[in-house]
Amino acid sequence: MSGQTWMILLSIALGTYLIRALPYVWMARKLNKQASQGNVSSTPVWLTILGPTMIAAMFGTSLVPVEPSLLSWVATVIGCVATYFIWRRTRSMGYPIVAGVLVFGALTVFFG
Amino acid sequence: MSTPAQLLLSNPWKQGAKDALPLLGGYIPVAVSFGLFSVQAGFGVLETILVSAFIYAGASQFLFVAMVVSGAPVWLVIVMTLLINSRHLVYGPNIAPYLQRDVRWLPLMHLLTDQIFALTLTRMPNMTPSDRLRWYVSAGVIAWMSWILGTALGAIAGDELIERWPLISEVLPFALPALFLVMVLPRCSDRRWTITMVIATSTAMLLKLFGFPNIAIPAAAICGALAYYAVHPSPTDKGVLS
Repeated sequence: MSGQTWMILLSIALGTYLIRALPYVWMARKLNKQASQGNVSSTPVWLTILGPTMIAAMFGTSLVPVEPSLLSWVATVIGCVATYFIWRRTRSMGYPIVAGVLVFGALTVFFG
Repeated sequence: MSTPAQLLLSNPWKQGAKDALPLLGGYIPVAVSFGLFSVQAGFGVLETILVSAFIYAGASQFLFVAMVVSGAPVWLVIVMTLLINSRHLVYGPNIAPYLQRDVRWLPLMHLLTDQIFALTLTRMPNMTPSDRLRWYVSAGVIAWMSWILGTALGAIAGDELIERWPLISEVLPFALPALFLVMVLPRCSDRRWTITMVIATSTAMLLKLFGFPNIAIPAAAICGALAYYAVHPSPTDKGVLS
């Protein structure tokens, strides 16, 4: 890698880190300030909505199969249904994910 | 996003490791692909591994390699990759209320990927403040290491791996939608939140399908938030707080 490419890499690495760290520092200071003034420290309402919707959006993008085809879409839907039913029974994170991957994998292997 | 506290293990290190395991199914195949892509584009094995260690953000790493190889202007490479990562801006403020005042959180922000953010927002409300740092380090470092090791595997033997076990790269990534699904489901406990989450999910899926993968997450999240404000709460709705 040339010196210029290293410079680009380090700039992106630093920029990405700052994008992750600075908003946290800003919010932590805001909450501390509220607490020191005797107010109940609270996150802005729009942020408490945006957090869960970001997760839902990640779910949406992850639903698109790596190699889209009828089989991969059907396997994705059935895998999600399996994950849902195991989640309803166990209310845990591990078992539903394992079940979903197994069902998805079985369909991909047997019908692929 | 509540998961009953009693389901958590007493040891936060073990709980973090357990929670991070599903991430590996999504991280390793993508990291292997990145390692292979980077080496084929002309980067060395060590350079490729360092890109993954330092940037640690999937889409922007692919873009970085592709733009550098194509000879794009320096400023454009930096601006485009940072734009892709700008969705991370809302992650820190969302988890800040759960992080106690401790300077060690600052370097740990490097580990705050999409998936670690989602896990953190799901798990931390149910943990004691003293357990949170240990849980985060455990889950975050395992995810980071899997990304680096997957990249190394791809850079060194990616061709052979993908040729020998093609199904691995097809099947294991399903761990990610399954993981996100079990994080989304607890939030769908009333009509207003269910509509919000369905709109965010379907918008993101459509945007990705129609060729806008990089703006899909922030744009769909904003659509979901707008839907939340547009839907009038019914008497049984639970409000914004977890």
